[in-house]
Amino acid sequence: MSETGHQHSTGDPSTIADNLPTDQQETVGRHASNSCWSGSSLQSVETMEEMQRDWTELVTNIQVAADARESQCRADMFEAGRLRVEKLENEAKSSLEKCEEIIRKWTVTKVKEFPQDLRDSLNSQQQLCARIIEDKNKVIQELQQEIKLSDDCFVKDRKTQAEHMDLIIDRMEEQVNFLMGSYRDELVQFENSLEQERRILLTGNRRKWEQHMEERRHKELENAMQRMRRVEEYDKSLQQLRTSEAEDLIKLDTDQKMQQIKATLQLRQETHHYCLEVMKNIDGDNTIVKSLMTEKINRWQDVVSRLKIKCANEEKLAWEVYQKLTEDYKLKMQQYKDLQKKKQLAAIHAKRFEEIWLMNKEEVKALVTKALDTDRLIHEQLLGLSWQPPPLGFMEQCGSLKNQRQAQSTACQTAAELLRPEGTSPCHLGKYKEASAGPRDVCESGAGQETGSSKTNRVGSGGKNSGTVLVKKIQELLCDKAGFLIESQLFKILSPLEKDEQCLMKMDSIFTAMGIESKEDVHKLAMFFTNYRQPQGDPYLTQDVSARCGAVASYQEEAGERSYCSPTSDLMNPNDVLVALKAFTAYHCRHSDGHDCVSREVVAPKDPSMLAVGGRDNSEDAAYWKAMADVIPEAKLKVWDALETALNKYHVVLTDKSKLIKDTQRLRQQNAELQKLLQQQANSRVRPGQDKVHGMDPAR
Amino acid sequence: MTATISKAPWGGTYPPVAKLNLAADPRKMRRIIAEDPEWSLAVVPHLSNICLQHIVRNFEERPILDKLLPSHKDYVLERLSTSLPLRVTSNLISDEGYWKRCCQKRWGLRDVSAYGHSWKRMFHERHLENIIELFIPDVTDPRLVLDAVPLCRDYVTRLNISQLLPPIKEPQAQEEDDGRDSASDLSVQGPSVDHFDFGILLDKLSRLEELHVVYRVKGCGMNFEWNLFEFTYRDCELLARALKSCTTLRVLRIHQSKVDDEKCRLLVNNLLDHPSLRELNLSHNLVGDRGARAIGKLLTRSRLETLTVYDNNIQGPGARAIAHALAKNTSLLSLDLRLNRLGDEGGQAIAQALLKNCTLERLYLGANEMSEPTATVLSQVLVQNQMLRSISLACNRLGSDGGKVLEEGVSHNSMLLECDLRLTEVGQESEYCIRRVIQNNKNRERKTQDDSVM
Repeated sequence: MSETGHQHSTGDPSTIADNLPTDQQETVGRHASNSCWSGSSLQSVETMEEMQRDWTELVTNIQVAADARESQCRADMFEAGRLRVEKLENEAKSSLEKCEEIIRKWTVTKVKEFPQDLRDSLNSQQQLCARIIEDKNKVIQELQQEIKLSDDCFVKDRKTQAEHMDLIIDRMEEQVNFLMGSYRDELVQFENSLEQERRILLTGNRRKWEQHMEERRHKELENAMQRMRRVEEYDKSLQQLRTSEAEDLIKLDTDQKMQQIKATLQLRQETHHYCLEVMKNIDGDNTIVKSLMTEKINRWQDVVSRLKIKCANEEKLAWEVYQKLTEDYKLKMQQYKDLQKKKQLAAIHAKRFEEIWLMNKEEVKALVTKALDTDRLIHEQLLGLSWQPPPLGFMEQCGSLKNQRQAQSTACQTAAELLRPEGTSPCHLGKYKEASAGPRDVCESGAGQETGSSKTNRVGSGGKNSGTVLVKKIQELLCDKAGFLIESQLFKILSPLEKDEQCLMKMDSIFTAMGIESKEDVHKLAMFFTNYRQPQGDPYLTQDVSARCGAVASYQEEAGERSYCSPTSDLMNPNDVLVALKAFTAYHCRHSDGHDCVSREVVAPKDPSMLAVGGRDNSEDAAYWKAMADVIPEAKLKVWDALETALNKYHVVLTDKSKLIKDTQRLRQQNAELQKLLQQQANSRVRPGQDKVHGMDPAR
Repeated sequence: MTATISKAPWGGTYPPVAKLNLAADPRKMRRIIAEDPEWSLAVVPHLSNICLQHIVRNFEERPILDKLLPSHKDYVLERLSTSLPLRVTSNLISDEGYWKRCCQKRWGLRDVSAYGHSWKRMFHERHLENIIELFIPDVTDPRLVLDAVPLCRDYVTRLNISQLLPPIKEPQAQEEDDGRDSASDLSVQGPSVDHFDFGILLDKLSRLEELHVVYRVKGCGMNFEWNLFEFTYRDCELLARALKSCTTLRVLRIHQSKVDDEKCRLLVNNLLDHPSLRELNLSHNLVGDRGARAIGKLLTRSRLETLTVYDNNIQGPGARAIAHALAKNTSLLSLDLRLNRLGDEGGQAIAQALLKNCTLERLYLGANEMSEPTATVLSQVLVQNQMLRSISLACNRLGSDGGKVLEEGVSHNSMLLECDLRLTEVGQESEYCIRRVIQNNKNRERKTQDDSVM
């Protein structure tokens, strides 16, 4: 049994080993079938498979035989076992019968009475038993024999099985070797056939290749020959063409050239003749002209010498004039410098004056209040009268100093407000109204408040937008064009500021330079500029500034309003700004003379720096100070004098009185002390020593 | 072990590291030694080489491998001792070269193709097999096996146990095998187990797929005793329980172990509804009709693909039970009932089952005392069933009539590729005809294969 198992287990690898080459072969076959000799490969595959099968069969034959033998053996064993069992059963049956006979005989023997019979029967019993035992022994022996036989058989089987195993192994080895050999052969064959095929293909290809190459070579040669031939032909024809052409050309050329040369020669001859005659004529003319020219030259030379002398004289004169003028200039410069210094001094003085003024005013004010207070005290406490404060309206007036300041600042403010884009507040408008309500209430046709509002008001209310835009534009124009009025240092300072602010500052300085202080002036300027557009077209006016100004002024009076409302699409030409400015200053100066305001003194527009100094109203100062001084009236002063004398007297009385009181007080005190001493003495009369002492005291 | 290390090939030219005191020897301090004709610069070892040698030498204490550069790794692996303990190497080294050296040192030249071309798997499987095969119940410490489990668990997919030792009963028993040691003063009480208990092992091997077991002793020679070849009922119980716990098992082979009806039933009862079992092999046993009935039950309650009951004692009734199951089965591909005693009764039953079954591809019914009646039914089957690829009827007395009937059946079949009719007395003519039909079938098959490949 174990033998077959071993066989089975060793059978497995062999089948695996068999299977592997099959796969290989199949793959080989498949590859082969792809190429052109699939038929032979299929055949070889078949033969190989057959071989393999045969060999496997050969190997497995042993196994099958062993199986068959084993099954046969088992069947035999089964049969033998069955026979054996039968036999044993028969044996048991017969022995049982015999036993029963013996037992039966025992009953017979028990009955027997004769010893001899008994012995006989016992003997027979013994014999029977012995026979049974013999039978059993026989059976046992037989069985033992069988065991021995089967042992032998087993050993023999083992041997045969071992032989079979060896055989199987041998055959397997053989198979493997054979198959390997055959596969190798097959492989070699495959390779050979492949090689052969390849060789055939190669040779065929090579032959074809060579053939093609040969053909090509032939063709090339032919082509080359053809080409050469053709080149020669072309060369030849070219040569021919060239010679024929050349001959033709030569012939043609000579004829033409000859004719041409003749013609040109003739032409030249004629021209030469003509030229000669002309030259002769010219020569004659030239001699005449030459004589004329020499005459002229002499004359001109005289003129030149004369002029030279004149020129030298003139130069000398001019030099002298120049010298004089430079000296003048130097003098003027010196004067100007002095003036500048003076101006600075004046400014300082004005400032100091202002400060002193203010200080004095404060002091006086304090004094006045003090005086008033004392007056009030006197009235209320001494006289017992009710005190009424005198009118103090003049106190609020602080003089004309402030007004000037205000005016100037308002000019700047207006500029600033106008420059501010849209944030025009109602107060802004109100300011305009306020300003317009003032001095410059130029009458116009019509009545009522609406007509009363001046042009400036128009700027503020009606054409607010257009007006502000206009003014702004004019300001920008001024900034650009009237930059010479601004000090150069200011530019440096202003450069980091924003555009609007820069513009504003510039405007400020320009206004101060031009002497424009109030917003009316600003608007006047604006108006002037807008109106200037019209007359600008007339060139004759530009010469006479004053005349034109008059025209402008009159024009302005009439149509100023309209021009404000008209769209200010194009303003005056920036190049004319300076001229206009000049005209304006002249006009402004004259105008301001005409419309002298209440508090304003004569303003010198050409010297704006003097404004602060000279612009003071001295006439009111005296009144002001006087009013201050006269705050206490004369009558009251008399009362005060009387009161003082009365009070002095009262004071004297009071001092006497106080002196008396003091005396009485001291006396009273002395009196009280004396009383005290007296009392002490009265109490200590008992001791004389003491009395003595006490007695001495009053003496003192 | 240390001796082998110091004698290793690298020790020849290089002095040991411990003695490398260069300053002490003025000769070593010199770059060139002109007076020595045998001197050459190559003798001076690289520091990296010395380090690697050190690593190799102290690998057991400090296994450094994965941190090394690839070239250095190769150097170390080439020189590592094969006698290093498994606990160091098994989970660290995956290099096949090292395991090849280990295997060849321990077992000589072997065929690695049987182990999936993995030397490491081969080493671990054979290591575990050796431990189990030399396991003596009540003498060997079970921890010896359990210690090996975590090392081998990831690499063992097949266990081919070729012997299982019985417990020692009397002093003379120890001389039976060379592998046993002299632990003889054991008490003579009944042993706790009769053989190695697979229950402690199988549920821990998470990748085990194949188990081949033989309950017998190899090479006992003249010490033969019947009790050396005993597969007791207790063993069977333990084995069955262990098999049930091993859910990854695909192939089970218990052969030459005297598995009789009772044990077969016990095994089958525990294998019912096994999640992965595909192949069962009970060849060379004593399975009878009742056991065959149990196997029939297993066929209906599992997804077996291969069933081998070669060389058993199955007779007609048992074959009928298997046939009954086969008629309903849809997974079995191969059935081997060779060398049983089915007789015509069993053979007819199996053949009739094949009329209904349409999955079986290989059927082996050799040496089964069948005769003509079976052949007639089989010829019907061959006409009708187009799944059968291989059939073996060798060593059955079919007779020439049976051969003719079969010839007719085969002539209507186009799928059969193998038909074994040796020693069946069918007559040469019918055998030849059948062979030709099969040859045609094969050719057709090959052609369709070629077509499908093209």
